[in-house]
Amino acid sequence: MEMFWGLFMSALLLGCTYTLVAIGFSMFFGVMDVVVFCCGDIAIFGSFAIMGAYAAMQSAGLFAVLPFWVCVALLIIIGAVFCAALGLMTHLLSIKPFHNSSELMPLLSTIAMGTVIKEILGLLFKPAVNAVSKMVGGPDAMTVVSGRNPQAFPALLMPNGSVLSRNITIILITAVMLLLLFLFLNRTKMGMSMQAISQNKELSRMTGINVSKIVVITFLIGGVMLAISGFLLGSYQKLMSFDDGAMYGAKGFSAAVVGGLRNTWGAVIGGMLLAFVEVFVSGYIPRGTAYSSIVAFVVVVVFIVFRPEGIIGEKSVEKV
Amino acid sequence: MTNNDMPTAEKCLTVAINVLIFGLVFLMLRLSYQISLALVAAVIAGLLRMERKGMIDALFSLFIRNRNVAACAAFICMLAIPLLLSTFRYQSHIAVMASIYAMVCLGVNFQMGSTNMVNFAPAAFMGIGAYSMAVVTMKLGMSAWLGMIAAMLMCAVAGLVIGLPTLRTKGYYLSLVTMALQLAFTQLIKNIPYLGGPNGISGVKALSVGGFSLYKTYTIFGVKLAPHFFYLIFCSLALAVLFYIALRISVSRCGLALNAIAQDEIAANCLGVDVSRCKLFSFLIGSIFCGIGGALYASLTSFVGPNDFTFTRSLVFICMVILGGMDNPVGVVVGAFLLTVITEKLRGFSDYAQLIYALLLVFILVAKPTGLIPKRVRNYCELFGRSLVPPTSEE
Repeated sequence: MEMFWGLFMSALLLGCTYTLVAIGFSMFFGVMDVVVFCCGDIAIFGSFAIMGAYAAMQSAGLFAVLPFWVCVALLIIIGAVFCAALGLMTHLLSIKPFHNSSELMPLLSTIAMGTVIKEILGLLFKPAVNAVSKMVGGPDAMTVVSGRNPQAFPALLMPNGSVLSRNITIILITAVMLLLLFLFLNRTKMGMSMQAISQNKELSRMTGINVSKIVVITFLIGGVMLAISGFLLGSYQKLMSFDDGAMYGAKGFSAAVVGGLRNTWGAVIGGMLLAFVEVFVSGYIPRGTAYSSIVAFVVVVVFIVFRPEGIIGEKSVEKV
Repeated sequence: MTNNDMPTAEKCLTVAINVLIFGLVFLMLRLSYQISLALVAAVIAGLLRMERKGMIDALFSLFIRNRNVAACAAFICMLAIPLLLSTFRYQSHIAVMASIYAMVCLGVNFQMGSTNMVNFAPAAFMGIGAYSMAVVTMKLGMSAWLGMIAAMLMCAVAGLVIGLPTLRTKGYYLSLVTMALQLAFTQLIKNIPYLGGPNGISGVKALSVGGFSLYKTYTIFGVKLAPHFFYLIFCSLALAVLFYIALRISVSRCGLALNAIAQDEIAANCLGVDVSRCKLFSFLIGSIFCGIGGALYASLTSFVGPNDFTFTRSLVFICMVILGGMDNPVGVVVGAFLLTVITEKLRGFSDYAQLIYALLLVFILVAKPTGLIPKRVRNYCELFGRSLVPPTSEE
């Protein structure tokens, strides 16, 4: 039973990180009708930005001056700003130019954009060498560390080494983000316009909604969501690799599809379902860890084939 | 036939253009990387310019009118390249890689170009072919030719299995299915101990004809040939066969049906196109092409590992198809060749290879989304040498 609750906890944590990426996918798909495949890379970029800012802040001695939690909040804000900027850049460079062309084009251009982000991370990120060598033991364990090796993510959420407090913080942060998003979407005029655009772009334009402005704002908010998911993923996994983006993005997109694209709560359900499948397969099936991702993808394919509208999505009938 | 009243000058022109094209191919392979890359850039710029001036259209109709002469000339020129490169080991290697990649790209083109279904898993299909080859020759100790057949069979089965969900999905969902397949394939291969796990399988046999290995250093008339010599000839011939098949399919009724599905699936269905069968066909034939490429790759490098068949590699194939021009076998082969030359000549900067690919992909998508040699209007009158329909003014 103890094992069950342990697995339950890890599944919940993994589900939290998937959920936020899936929400990013859903939001972008809602307003632009395109799948932004570089979401995963943007999230990874966010966590690397936080890592870089952490190293910079440490060398500047900021942690001695400011209280720890202020520093962490500052780091999250820095990551969020980077990702929001990146989200905006993605929109301007790889989605807007292909507005009227076939759906193939934004698909490929966002994948290319993701590769650019990933490669820039791999080339430019020069890590603090002792961070990784400390993890594998001894300062001489890894003397040559390039940006292409996995990087140690600073343990920002467990200052006193307590795993439980970290876990609770991760779940709390996700819950707060979901609550904020819910309030934004349903209680503010901007959020309502966003929903209107998701339902019918032409009609919302006719009712006087500034569609292009709302789209830009969506990409900024989505970027913030992705930055936080990257931060949570880093805190959960402890090690980040620059090329995690493709896998992470595919998981996030899968979660969004399983739950139902365009639907925020669908993203939550999909993310949790995927995480639970993955974690319990690796926990209960012998040698299952290796196959957990594969089982998750099989679940996705089954969903796509038999219920493409997702768990709580609306069925769309194609009209000629 | 009407060939007799065609002026001989036109035939000479066809031959000359063929020699020119293959001469350029040879120079790109042979020269040092600065000059070769400059040549690649010049070719890309030239193709863009010719396309704008309508010269490529003229070239196509010239070749179609004199297709027998053109085919013979191209065949001879193609065989001249291995002879000219016979003592250059690395350059022959680039040529072999280019022809293998061109085969895979021709396979991808059936799905991506003709039917407008983006397949993100060509590297996985290539991997299935390569691993079948490795298992048959290395683990079971059988002949490499049997490995080739096994690769084709395995890929056909895999293509059908992957093709089945595509009947119910399209657009993004389809790309997600193929993407999931690609990511799962790499994970799966890494975790099967029989297939060597992350270490892969080494010692794959090379193809051999009657005891003579195609991949071995021979000395003929005192000239020490590069080990790739016979392999390059074989790959060129195989590419020529696959290219011919792709060309025939694209002008056939089946190719037309695939295009109709790409335009509008429902409309195609209403016009009597068997959508399910055509989609399955495009996956089947495409994955067989990828499998042949994979088997040849395995037998060239004599090693297969999971890192050769990753998602990134799939993106490279997609990039090749888009660069060359979707739904045009000629364009696809050109794209595969150009991108292979760029990659191999930039070996010294391999850290930047992915970045270059991605930037190039964005550049093509923005500048010329149809690629260097985009698809043509099928000119059946010229193709069959007779006037099937009276010329109309709408054309």
